[in-house]
Amino acid sequence: MSVVLGRLQFFVITLWAALTLNFILPRMMPGSPMTAMMARFKGRLSPQTVQAYQAAFGIHPRDSIFTQYLTYLDNLAHGQFGLSVGFFPEPVINVVMQALPWTLALAGVTTVISFVLGTLIGMVVAWRRAGAVDSLVTPLFVVLSAVPYFWLGLLAIYFFSVIHNWLPARFGYGITSSLTLSWATIGQILTHAILPAGTIIITSIGGWILTMRNNMVGTLSEDYVQMARAKGLRPWRIMFHYAGRNAILPNLAGFAMSLGFVVSGLLLTEIVFNYPGVGFLFLQAVENQDYPLMQALFLMVTLAVLVAILAADAANALLDPRTRAKR
Amino acid sequence: MLCSRSVGSRSFLRAAFVASLAIILVLVNSAPSLASKPAAKIRIGGTVTIDNVQGSLWSCSFNPYGATTSLLSAGIIYEPLWYVNQDNNKGQPWLAKKYAWSNHNKTLTFTLRSGVKWADGKPLTAADVVFTFKLLKRFPGIDVNAIWTVLSNVVSHKNKIVFSFKQAAVPFFYYIGDQTFIVPQHTWSKVKNPVTYLDAKPTGSGPFKLHKCSPQNIEYIRNPHYWQKGKPYLSKIEYPAFIDNSGGNGYLDGNNKDVWGAQYIPNINASYVHAPNVNSKVRHYWFPPQGYDVIMYPNLKRWPTNILAVRQAISIGLDRAKVSRLGVYGYLPPANQSGIIVPDAKSWYDKSLAKKYNYSYNPGKAKKLLEKAGFKLSNGIFHDKKGRKLSISVLNVGGYSDWVGEVQAAAADLRQIGIELKPENVSGTTHSADEQDGEFQMSYDSPLGGPTPYYQFRQLLDSANTAPIGPGKLAQSNFERFRSKAVDSLLKQYALTNSSKQQHTIIDKIQQVMLKQVPVIPVLEGVNWYEYDTTDLTGWVNKKNDYAAPAAYNFPDQMVVLLHLHLK
Repeated sequence: MSVVLGRLQFFVITLWAALTLNFILPRMMPGSPMTAMMARFKGRLSPQTVQAYQAAFGIHPRDSIFTQYLTYLDNLAHGQFGLSVGFFPEPVINVVMQALPWTLALAGVTTVISFVLGTLIGMVVAWRRAGAVDSLVTPLFVVLSAVPYFWLGLLAIYFFSVIHNWLPARFGYGITSSLTLSWATIGQILTHAILPAGTIIITSIGGWILTMRNNMVGTLSEDYVQMARAKGLRPWRIMFHYAGRNAILPNLAGFAMSLGFVVSGLLLTEIVFNYPGVGFLFLQAVENQDYPLMQALFLMVTLAVLVAILAADAANALLDPRTRAKR
Repeated sequence: MLCSRSVGSRSFLRAAFVASLAIILVLVNSAPSLASKPAAKIRIGGTVTIDNVQGSLWSCSFNPYGATTSLLSAGIIYEPLWYVNQDNNKGQPWLAKKYAWSNHNKTLTFTLRSGVKWADGKPLTAADVVFTFKLLKRFPGIDVNAIWTVLSNVVSHKNKIVFSFKQAAVPFFYYIGDQTFIVPQHTWSKVKNPVTYLDAKPTGSGPFKLHKCSPQNIEYIRNPHYWQKGKPYLSKIEYPAFIDNSGGNGYLDGNNKDVWGAQYIPNINASYVHAPNVNSKVRHYWFPPQGYDVIMYPNLKRWPTNILAVRQAISIGLDRAKVSRLGVYGYLPPANQSGIIVPDAKSWYDKSLAKKYNYSYNPGKAKKLLEKAGFKLSNGIFHDKKGRKLSISVLNVGGYSDWVGEVQAAAADLRQIGIELKPENVSGTTHSADEQDGEFQMSYDSPLGGPTPYYQFRQLLDSANTAPIGPGKLAQSNFERFRSKAVDSLLKQYALTNSSKQQHTIIDKIQQVMLKQVPVIPVLEGVNWYEYDTTDLTGWVNKKNDYAAPAAYNFPDQMVVLLHLHLK
């Protein structure tokens, strides 16, 4: 119980610190939403219009920074993110919800796939370490993970779309189709996801393989694995239940972290494939000095990462009895 | 957006925030008829796809007064009273059939066309027009052209709408006629706050109706009950959302037909016209100037840009054609020190003045000017009497690859005459924040401009648009901090007169200020980005038939182009 309480305490303090940073950081950047707006209109805004815009953005320049901070916390507590400055007059929540499903689906699915595949491959190559598979697969994926993502993405577009016209090069679905729930739409979404997902998996899987392989090599030399071999257990049982189960523990924390970061989007993928998503929103929010949108996005990422860390702790406790033991 | 979104993003701002101003000199009330070809011969049908990178997904908001949404509904769905071509200032009746100035240019009367209907079948009346303008008064947040700073009242008598002004306000014709979009009273009167209103299901009077919208694409369909009989010819418009130039240019270069592009494409002949697997005969482009210059703003309050001879030497020592060639494949024509866009505004250009002051490229002359002002060459760079090096940092937007290239080319030129330019490439937000505060030595930027030179001059030189250096008070567009009572009063006089002759005299005097005092240094002339494909469609704007400003981000010009397009 005390472990849970301690964790929660940590959670609340981290959350508060992150929220406060979210408030301070954008305000330390040069300029403000209003200067960004004035730059766009270049000398045509009357003072009345400027005031009206400030009111609409929820900017009260006369309020002290502390009052602004309290209003900010109050708004967050009520889930009020206000109107986006860059996408004015769209409410921030709409802007985020438009992009989030795409990001969750693409980034979520690719993260899970590359974790599962990477872990499995890592396990197998460690089991047969120094064999033909290990000396081929491991270096290959290490090299692939070092390839710049945008370069691989452009190469994939050039080969699969420009030369052969096999797969669509951009968008999340066919632009002229309506997004209704039908097999045709789902098929479209899937075919449009092949290139972005494929390139992400190819560049990210190497990391998982390598860490899993190295952990596994360590555990394989443990006494209990020798013991299992001596008992004459089947090799796959030793691989999964004895060595694999222990080797996966350090990887799991990393997996939870990356699941948390899924909501921050995939900036490069979104740019290369003109794919709708949160990563590009982040960039735009910063460029437009869009405080409301920035705050909402940062809050989302902070919460997701914190929850993921909590979940990883819980999973660790389940899988590894040692962490539950009283000291 | 990351690197080469440059021009796309500027054109976007230019369009999204009400591109430019014009002053109608047309005193005659009748204008050329709308029909270009007898409607009977033209088939209805065809789809055009607009490729205009806006750098974000669509929010499906169609508020014609929303900062980022105007270009999606202004013109296409909601119409103005009068159409003005942003490139050549030619006017055309639209929802109003005529107008007249009276009472010493303090009263403007429009006569509304009859028989115009909203898409829901209700008639468009003078009451709707008055309602729209009163709405701008009640909610200053949508009065983005500051109309109510000069307007005092709007009333209607039957089909006439009468605007009364506090002072003579001739330049405001453009805002009122062309840049205010009439909305229906019966739906908009229920809107609580039009500033934050999304208008997801717009009802307008325009040639197209919204069919469906997703974050990735907008589809408009023909309004069969449009008041211009038989028009529009097109049955559909597709408007996909591109978040980055690479996506937008990829689509434009790729094997897609009937695409209307509004993009800056590097090396356009190879990558667009002669792209692999496409018929190069149907691919065309035209980049006509659009009423603004790309400019070096010298800070007039700081050494050494406060010295006239230095500014003159820079202007004379710049090989502008070379800057364009190295920076943007020569797409932008070289500008002149008078600040007049030729050929578009050629009639305003005072040749004899330009000849008298003669700012044509001449490195020898530039060096002499500096020597005369007391600068001495040492190690190839000029120094002043106190030994300070003639080195100027140039604030620029690092994300605009063309601007970065242009300043680099300019630096190479000026190095030849002993001036060092140090590019300082920053983010767009830092760039504008520093310009507004005056925290720079020289800045590279462009005003919004307009179809007559008045507007660019007002943005650049009006002391109302400047501010002292330092945070707090922000300069809106006169970043160089130029102040002159004479120029302020010339700009005011311009607004009082409808006479073309007087306006020309005023602009001539301002040109003289540009040449004599060099408050800013125009480098290149901004252009419309415009690519078009003639596989199935015809009626496009071209050099011979320049009926509208052809870039898709110009509104309501885009509506006029869409009304001209039809199947071959």
